[in-house]
Amino acid sequence: MTSFSANPALSRVADRVQDNRRRSRYISGALTVALTIMVAWSVDVTVIQDTDWERIGSVANVWEATSHFIGLDLELFPDLLVPAIETLLIACLGTAFGLILCIPAAWFGAMNITPYAPITYPLARLMMTLSRSIHEIVWALFFVAVVGLGAMAGVLAIAVRSVGFIAKMTAEAIEDIDYGPVEAIKAVGGSNFQVIVYAILPQVLPQIVSVVIFEWEINIRRSAILGLVGAGGLGLVFFRQMNTFNYHGVTSVIVAILIIILLGEAISYFVRRRMI
Amino acid sequence: MAVLKVTDLHARYSAKGPEILKGISFEVEENDFFAIIGPSGAGKSTLIRCINRLVEPTSGSIVFDGREITTLSHVELRRQRRDIGMIFQEFNLVNRMSVMDNVLSGRLGYTSNLRTLFRAFPREDIDHALALLDRVGLIDHVDKRADQLSGGQRQRVGIARALMQDPKLMLLDEPTSALDPKISREVMELIKEMAQELKVPCLCNIHDVKLATECCNKIIGLQDGVTMFSGLTGDMNEEKLGEIYAMEVL
Repeated sequence: MTSFSANPALSRVADRVQDNRRRSRYISGALTVALTIMVAWSVDVTVIQDTDWERIGSVANVWEATSHFIGLDLELFPDLLVPAIETLLIACLGTAFGLILCIPAAWFGAMNITPYAPITYPLARLMMTLSRSIHEIVWALFFVAVVGLGAMAGVLAIAVRSVGFIAKMTAEAIEDIDYGPVEAIKAVGGSNFQVIVYAILPQVLPQIVSVVIFEWEINIRRSAILGLVGAGGLGLVFFRQMNTFNYHGVTSVIVAILIIILLGEAISYFVRRRMI
Repeated sequence: MAVLKVTDLHARYSAKGPEILKGISFEVEENDFFAIIGPSGAGKSTLIRCINRLVEPTSGSIVFDGREITTLSHVELRRQRRDIGMIFQEFNLVNRMSVMDNVLSGRLGYTSNLRTLFRAFPREDIDHALALLDRVGLIDHVDKRADQLSGGQRQRVGIARALMQDPKLMLLDEPTSALDPKISREVMELIKEMAQELKVPCLCNIHDVKLATECCNKIIGLQDGVTMFSGLTGDMNEEKLGEIYAMEVL
């Protein structure tokens, strides 16, 4: 020990190391205190002050409120058939229409085939980002305002919301293609359109199908709740049951939603497995 | 009259990049089977791609069938490409399509966009494709997907596709490099036979010198973008070959 402190150079290094360690301890200590205060403040503002504690009452009251939801309104099920089919159709039509919207988005958004990169590429990226960064409920509210209440608004919302993901995956697949066939089709005198149809599309088709099925499955979930804002399907029934305090009815709708989502997942699983 | 006349052709891929072709001149005449030989990186592939402008030359002249190629507009270029068949080293087939669809793609230059979309080719194109597939020995594989075939079979599809164009010139870019020696020879002989039958002159990149001297009547030897030899196959000798491939020896 003494031999180390006797070496002034090493001793200076040791001082610096010790300072650094002390400083990082202060910093982490200060961060911990700051984080604790922030969490405590958030809990106070959002939970403690913002909650109607008298409305919740005792634990027994909470249990009673929960138990309203246990049980099914069996009489409601026949009335759920049509909205359930409507929900599925909104998902299917929305996905199909979204796929059409994807054609320009994917074409413009793939760097290697975009017609005029300085304009069309950013345009496509903007379409994709807009589509994905706005929630489907917000899209549905927008389309309800535009085309009025009903399934049409749901279909449009689903379509627009689907563009982002499908177009992005497709554009990336197009950017990864093998250029051999492209060169060959150009060499026979093929137009740009023929290059896309004959050399590019066959290469990316399996990926497009896979992405579309995946998106369709997600769209069933989306269309199941779009009725909350008046865009048709099961969500609308859900909203009505909630408003009339028919809690068993609410549970029935949830079960129906669960069934069609499981159905969608099963179909998606089998189709995708058969394809691969 | 020469079918193809290339004069003082220069090419580079970018303004700052190295010059790949440094003033190449040659003529391909009717019934020629013209070989371009040289080591890797000599500019053979670039040269052959300049002919149908898959690569844009920076200067020089290419006259094909009496027309200057280098100044053609986009639309005129496409029309001109219909008369130039091309066979590729890696076959460049659309793997997920059938053999038939791949051969029919040779007619795309004559096919409308609507027909392309539905792959609805006229009956005479289908008859023509079947005749060619029969000739190259693939009549039993018409409906198979291209990726189910062996390398030699795939190149035969490539040959049929190129001939489907009724070309006035064939460009062959290392047509046998991806194949084993025995199949290489078969494929090369098939190309030569069919070129003679259909009276199509060929311009062929090849690095197998032995195969080149056997199949071709004229040879141009490139090294680093410069012509080292140009003449009849009979005038080629070991000494000149040594010069062409000097870079490889070093």
